[in-house]
Amino acid sequence: MTLSRRNFVKVGGAAMALPLLGTSAFAQLEKVKVGFIYVGTINDNGYNYAHNQGRLYVEEHLGDKVETIYVENVPEGPDCERVLRELAQQGCQLIFATSFGFGDSVVKVAPQFPDVAFEHATGYMSGPNIGLYNARFYEGRAVCGTIAGHMSETGKYGYIGSFPIPEVVMGINAFVLAARKVNPEATIKPVYISTWNDPAKEADAARAMIDQGIDVIAQHTDGPAALQVAAERGIVGGFGQGADMSAFAPETQLTAIIDHWGPHYLASAEAVLAGTWTPGNTWEGLKEDVVQMGPYGAKVPEDVRAAADAVKNGQIDGSFHIFTGPINDNTGVERVAAGVTMTDAELLSMDWYVEGVEQPA
Amino acid sequence: MQFRLEKRREPSQFMLYATPVAAVALTMIVGAIIFSLIGYDGLGAVREIFLTPLTNAYKWQDLGVKAAPLIIIGVGLSIAYRANVWNIGAEGQYIMGGLAGTGIALLTYGMTGWWVLPLMVLAGVLGGMAYAAIPALLKTRLNVNEILTSLMLTYASVQLIYYLIRAPWKDPMGMGFPQTRLFSEAARLPTIIPGTIVHLGVPIAIVVGLVAWFIMTKSVFGYRMRVVGAAPHAARYGGFSEHKTIWLALLVSGALAGLAGVLEVAGPFQRMVPGFPTNYGFTAIIVAFLGRLNPLGVIIAGIVLAITFVGGEVAQTTIGLPNAATGIFQAMMLFFLLAGDILIKYRVRRVVPQPQAGAA
Repeated sequence: MTLSRRNFVKVGGAAMALPLLGTSAFAQLEKVKVGFIYVGTINDNGYNYAHNQGRLYVEEHLGDKVETIYVENVPEGPDCERVLRELAQQGCQLIFATSFGFGDSVVKVAPQFPDVAFEHATGYMSGPNIGLYNARFYEGRAVCGTIAGHMSETGKYGYIGSFPIPEVVMGINAFVLAARKVNPEATIKPVYISTWNDPAKEADAARAMIDQGIDVIAQHTDGPAALQVAAERGIVGGFGQGADMSAFAPETQLTAIIDHWGPHYLASAEAVLAGTWTPGNTWEGLKEDVVQMGPYGAKVPEDVRAAADAVKNGQIDGSFHIFTGPINDNTGVERVAAGVTMTDAELLSMDWYVEGVEQPA
Repeated sequence: MQFRLEKRREPSQFMLYATPVAAVALTMIVGAIIFSLIGYDGLGAVREIFLTPLTNAYKWQDLGVKAAPLIIIGVGLSIAYRANVWNIGAEGQYIMGGLAGTGIALLTYGMTGWWVLPLMVLAGVLGGMAYAAIPALLKTRLNVNEILTSLMLTYASVQLIYYLIRAPWKDPMGMGFPQTRLFSEAARLPTIIPGTIVHLGVPIAIVVGLVAWFIMTKSVFGYRMRVVGAAPHAARYGGFSEHKTIWLALLVSGALAGLAGVLEVAGPFQRMVPGFPTNYGFTAIIVAFLGRLNPLGVIIAGIVLAITFVGGEVAQTTIGLPNAATGIFQAMMLFFLLAGDILIKYRVRRVVPQPQAGAA
């Protein structure tokens, strides 16, 4: 076939129309093909690494009933759209878009492939074949904050964020709320670096904050760079994010928040195999084992471990919720009355900081 | 054993056009060998990266959309580089074009009318031009190297995006995510082939290439740019002002980068997001050189680079090639091209050491 414009239109048009001819009912399958797209590299030893561990978990459990493929380093923009179509075209029946910024693309592409199940992590826009899934990372932040409250000498913490979205704001707030239950004077300084994964920027932000007197650091970015700087500068400590990062800073990592996506990915893949997949909206945490805590660092003393365990177990058995009032915002206005717990909807649209958070620039 | 590079009296015209082709071919061969040696399916990698995007009709729309900004920016850069003006900051001018267009889209939010898009395009072009005017001013007034200023201004423009989308332009419905709202219908670039993602920017890119080729080969402006670049002294005797040429080169390349930016934000993005800068401005430097600084060549080179991007993703999904492989292939292409250029202009001569008298 020649590359004439007319043929281009015909072939392109036909190819685009093909998926539209299918029915939207999900049929039972012998084998499922699952696609994953990652915003960073699977070797980041953090967020994307954890998602990829989830992919391997599915492979391990379903054996030859599953085939998985992935694309890494996908920018959050139109490039993502192309990758999603590529995966759908290669016959994936289930596609996980594992970063917040993929949302627009998922919403654009999913209607073109009504037979494919799409799941978007940490997002908020669902659809007839778009499910949402998320983890209650803030529960882990509460455990980290408790440790920081006990161990920090200056009472000043640093927090490297990507973007000020509710997901990140909520984590900062949970951290400092927990810390201030131990040290009511504690403050936290968030810095946003506008990317999920840029080790150089993460390290620069960490250095700048350490120069300003923080001695515990946490991050909502994907790699261990901040932890490494913390180790190099010999501050009290930091936390692994996404995965156990103790290999990078064995003395410095106090504990880690581990994303354990495997069980969720497995459940979705099994549902697609059985023909029972429906777009869900799951938000699971420590209790469901989707969020796990890493081992305590050697320098965390017994009493602090006990306090941290208490916060962790309280969240597992439901007796403790970090977002139970009274909670004031950082201008001193009461936002949550005593005894009231914020609803999930309120948490998922959180755009204000609690007392103790220095307003970021 | 020692070698010396000796200038050729007359560079071969045939080789001038054969080297880009040879560079692509060498990239494929060496790439296949390297990836085979480190344990991947090397031939498969080359097939998936360079051929699949061409043989799979479903990928053509992606090639068009990916090549369009590369071509538009690359054409502008090729004009500037012809005049020996080294605008390295097309990425920043692309961003400013996108931002200027976004500004108009937000100002006219909710309005309808055919005039919205042309106004955005005009703003984008002016935005890119204005940003390129800074290095031009610094170069002509203070003799500051335009390579440094244009490059560093890129980083400033990225920060400007972050500032604007975090505060004044933030999407009220975006759950706090730093992005602008989705543009209204009148501010979105229409798709020209129904059912595909091919937008108006794709034919515009081709037209830009053709018009630039015509101007560069047939007009006094083109003659001036070429002469200033090839023989600055002759140009000065000929009465061409060096300052004026610097201004023209930067403004034209800035305007085209700005055009690419506004088309990109109005087309595929439809809103300004932190992920807007995707290095098109830098990749276009490879495109300009691979295209031999000839606008027609740039069109082809833009498509070649688009193939490697699209093919890189195909290779990830089909044979598990890591994402970095795309970058390796692109870098190899530029490397072989530049190496080829050296060999066109110079010949390698073995230097025979003169025997020292009395050393026996």
